Amino acid sequence: MDVIVCLKQVPDTETKIKINPEGTGIVTEGIKYVMNPYDEYAVEEALKIKEKFGGTVTIISMGPARVVDAIRNALAMGADEGVHLNDPAFEGSDSFTTAKILSKVIKDMKYDLILTGKQAMDFDCSQVFGCLAELLELPYVSVVTGLEISADGKTAIAKRETEGGVEEIIQMPLPAVVAAQKGLNEPRYASLPGIMKAKKKVIKEINLTTLGMTASEVGEAGSKMKTKNFQLPPERKAGKKIEGEPPEAVKEIVRMLHDEAKLI
Amino acid sequence: MEITREIFWNVGSWVRWPVYGLGLLVVIIFILGLVKRFRLWRIGKPDIRNDQILKRIGTVLSYGLFHKRILKEPYPGIMHLFIFWGFLFLLIGTALIFLQEDFTRLIFDKVFIQGSFYLTFSFILDLFGLMAIIGVLLAAFRRYILKPERLDNKLEDAFGLLLIFLVLVTGFTNEGLRIAVTRPEFERYSFVGWEISKIFSSSEQAIASLKTAHVVCWWFHVLLAFTFIGYVAYSKLIHLITSPLNQFFRSLTPQGEIKPIPDIENQETFGVAKLQDFTWKQLLDTDACTRCGRCQDNCPAHLSGKPLSPKKVIQDLRNHLNQSAGNLKKQGGGQEETVPIGGNVILEDELWACTTCAACQEACPVFVQVIDKVVDLRRYLVLMESKFSPEVKLFFKNMETNSNPWTIGFATRADWAKDLNLKNLSENKEVEYLLWVGCSGSFDERNRKVSRSLVSLLQKAGVSFGILGSEEMCCGETARRMGNEYLAQILMQQNIELFSNYGIKKIITLCPHCFNTFKNEYHQFGGNYRVFHYSELLLNLYQEGKLKWKTGIEMKAAYHDSCYLGRHNGIYNAPRMLLNSLPDTKVVEMKRNRAKSFCCGAGGGRMWMEETLGKRINQLRVEQIAATGASVVATACPYCLTMLEDGIKEKGLEKGLSVLDITEILDKAC
Ligand code: SF4
Ligand code: SF4
Repeated sequence: MDVIVCLKQVPDTETKIKINPEGTGIVTEGIKYVMNPYDEYAVEEALKIKEKFGGTVTIISMGPARVVDAIRNALAMGADEGVHLNDPAFEGSDSFTTAKILSKVIKDMKYDLILTGKQAMDFDCSQVFGCLAELLELPYVSVVTGLEISADGKTAIAKRETEGGVEEIIQMPLPAVVAAQKGLNEPRYASLPGIMKAKKKVIKEINLTTLGMTASEVGEAGSKMKTKNFQLPPERKAGKKIEGEPPEAVKEIVRMLHDEAKLI
Repeated sequence: MEITREIFWNVGSWVRWPVYGLGLLVVIIFILGLVKRFRLWRIGKPDIRNDQILKRIGTVLSYGLFHKRILKEPYPGIMHLFIFWGFLFLLIGTALIFLQEDFTRLIFDKVFIQGSFYLTFSFILDLFGLMAIIGVLLAAFRRYILKPERLDNKLEDAFGLLLIFLVLVTGFTNEGLRIAVTRPEFERYSFVGWEISKIFSSSEQAIASLKTAHVVCWWFHVLLAFTFIGYVAYSKLIHLITSPLNQFFRSLTPQGEIKPIPDIENQETFGVAKLQDFTWKQLLDTDACTRCGRCQDNCPAHLSGKPLSPKKVIQDLRNHLNQSAGNLKKQGGGQEETVPIGGNVILEDELWACTTCAACQEACPVFVQVIDKVVDLRRYLVLMESKFSPEVKLFFKNMETNSNPWTIGFATRADWAKDLNLKNLSENKEVEYLLWVGCSGSFDERNRKVSRSLVSLLQKAGVSFGILGSEEMCCGETARRMGNEYLAQILMQQNIELFSNYGIKKIITLCPHCFNTFKNEYHQFGGNYRVFHYSELLLNLYQEGKLKWKTGIEMKAAYHDSCYLGRHNGIYNAPRMLLNSLPDTKVVEMKRNRAKSFCCGAGGGRMWMEETLGKRINQLRVEQIAATGASVVATACPYCLTMLEDGIKEKGLEKGLSVLDITEILDKAC
C-alpha cells in the first residue's frame, strides 16, 4: 500500500492571532508553526497501514520554507518521503487552487490512498480535499474516526461521524481520499533515531516551473475566492450569573430568554 | 612464667602445613570469586573515577571505617559497628600471629606477642570478639524477631550470620579449653576465654578429653574461618569488598547533576537497554548493595505504596547481571540481550514512579545511586521506544511548541509582570542579575504571586535585575529527568545562546529545579554562571542590611525542604534563617526534615503525570506537616507549593493550614 499524506503547517493553536495594520492578513512574526493537529492523525494512520501492509508513505505539503519542519516531523514519525511545493507564486491560493496544484503533483504518482486531516486549524475551510477528490475523480470520505483496509488492499471501510451523533459506515473502492477526525488513532511521538534519520532525508522541492503550471493558474491570480480583509471576531461578552434561590432564578432565566434573547 | 602462649598448643606446629595448603586454596577460591564479579563490572562502559584520590580515601575512612552514615540509625548502626570492628580487630590479631609465627619467629626466633603486649592483645581481642558476637546476636534478633519491613530474608543471610557466629564461638571455645588445661593466672586478661574455661573441669581425668575436644574444636574453627573467607566472594558478604570500593569510586559531582548523552546527534542508540549500556560503576553499584533497605525506608514512592523500591531496582539489576553472567561478553561482543531492561527487568511503572528526590541516595551507606539508572532507563523508553503516558507526551509537545509544560502560548510568558514596571533584557541589558522566573512562576496563577513577591523584595533591596520576558524558555530540567535528553539539550542550548547574547553572568532563580540545572548541568554545554536561588540571595541582602523587616509576622511555620534545594544542593539553612529572622515567627521542624526531608511528589517530571498508584505523596507530606501543629507551611519551590496546596485541599485542611512561599511571607514583613 502506498499512501500519500497531504499536510499543512498551521500556527500553534495557542497563538494569539493579531491582524496586520492593513487588514490584509495576520502578523506572522513570533508565531510558532506546528503540523496541523488533524493531519497528525492522517500521518499516524498512514504509518499504521504501512506497518500492516508494507509500502511507502509520502508526505506532501505546500507553503514557504518553514513548512519543511512539518514535513520533517512526519518523516521523523516514520514516513518515507517528503515533497515540498514551494514557490512564492503559490501564496494566496484558495482551497480550489490548492487542490488543483496538489492534483497536478499527485496524478503522476503511484498511490493507493490519500490521507489528510479533516480541516486545517488555521482557516478551517475543509474544502481542499473535496476538490482534490473531484479533480482526481476519487471517492472522498471526511471526518473519519475509523478506517479498515481490506486484506487485498482494494477497498476500505470508513467510520465517520455525522451531526447528531450518528455514525456512518462507508465502503469505498481504493484509491480514495480520506480525511481524519480526532479519535482515529493516537499519533505517535517520533523516536530520536527517527528524528535523526529524518534530518538527513532529502525533501523533493517542486516549484511552479517543475510543476508545469503558470503563475496565472496558481496563487491569488488563479483563485476563485478573494480575501477582502481580516477582522478579529468580536470579543465574547462575559456570561451572566443569576443569583438567588432556584425558583426565582428559574423565573429570571425564563424572563431573560424571552425578553432579552427572544428565544422563547 | 613467660607471659605468652604457644600458638599451636595442643595441635602441634605441623598443622601449619595443612593450614597453609587450605589457606592457599581458600585464597584462590576467594580471588576467583572476585575476578568473576570484576569481569561482570567490566562489561560496562568506561567512567573515570580516579580523580581526587584523597577525597575518595576520606570517604572510605569516614563512611566505611567510621560508619558515618550507618550510625545515623542507632540500632542497625551499632549492630554493624560491633560486627565490623570486632572482625577488624580479630583480623588484625590473626595477622599479627601470622607475622610472628611465620616470619619473626621462623626467621629471627623472635616472639613479640608476649609480656604486657600479650596481655593487652588478649584483652582487646576478647573484647572485640565479644562485641562481634553481640553484634551478630543483635542482627539475628532484628532480622528474625523484629523483622523490619525493609529487610527481606534470604537463606544467605541466615547462613552468613550463622557462619560468623560459629567462627566466633568456636574461637572462644578454643581459648576456654586451652585455658582450662593450662590455667596460667595471667590469662584472666583473656576474659571471655577465662570465663568459658570455668565451665570445664580441670581434673586430671578430664584433661585428656579436654585436649581432644580442643583439637576437634580447633580444626572446626579453622575450617569455619576458611569457609567464611571463601564464602565472602560468593555471597552478600562480598560487600566487605564491594562496599568500600563503591565508597571509593563514589560520584563526586553534585548530586543534582545528571550526566548528558554526549554528542547526541551522532549516537545510534540512546539510554540504557542492556547491561552493557551501563557504566562499570553503575554495575558495581548493584554488587555493592547490601540489601539493608535504608533507601526504601526513605523513598516517597515506596512509602506511598507505588511499585518502586530503590532497593528492589538495584537488586533486580543485580539478579539480572547474575543471570546474564553466563552469556555476557565484553561490550560489542557476545550474545545480545533480546529484551530491554526498562519495561522488563524494571517495569515501566517503577521507572515512572521515581521523583528523583535522592532520599534513597542520601540514606545509602555505600553510595549506591538510583537516579542515574532510572533516568538512563527512561531515556531508552522515551527516545528509542516512545513509550510513555499521554500526559508525558502532552508535556513534550507543549515544550516543543511553547517551551513550557502547559498548553499556553509562549507569548504570554511575561504577562504576570505587565504592571510591575520591570525591564526586559531586550530593553536594558545593563543589569547585574538575570531574574529567571521559570515556567511555574510565569504561567501558574498561584506561583505568579510568588514571582511578584520576589520582584517586590528585590526592588525594595535595590537589586539591579531584569527578566527575559517572552524570550525565556523552559530550562530543560524536567524534560531531562523524564528521559527526553534530546528535548532538554535543545532547550539548554537555546538558553545558553540567549544568555551569551545578553552577556549574562549572574542568575537568580525562583525555582530550585531551574537553579539546580543552571548550576550543575549547564556547564556541560559551556554555560557557566553564578547562580543563586533566591533564598541565598535574600539572606545576603538581609545580612547586609539591604532588606529590613518592618513588622513581625505572627505564625507558627513549618519549613518544607525542597529536594532540589536541600538534598541536591545542600541549601538547608538559608530559608530557615530567613524565616527565623522575622520577629514573632516561630519555625517548627517536621520529623522528616533537611537531608531526610520527604518529597512533595512533583520531582522527576511527576508533577506532570497522573498519580494513580498507591497513596498520593503530597497527602502523606501534608499529614506530616499537620502533625507539627503549624498554621503555615513555608516553601521555597513552586512545585512544592502547588503539590502541598493541592494536598491540603484534598485532605480538607484549608481552614487551619495554608502554604506560603518564603518570599510571600518576607514581602509582607517589609
Ligand atoms: S530518588 Fe526518591 S523516589 Fe526515586 S527511588 Fe530514590 S527515594 Fe525513591
Ligand atoms: S541501595 Fe544502599 S541503602 Fe539501598 S539497600 Fe542497597 S545498600 Fe542499602
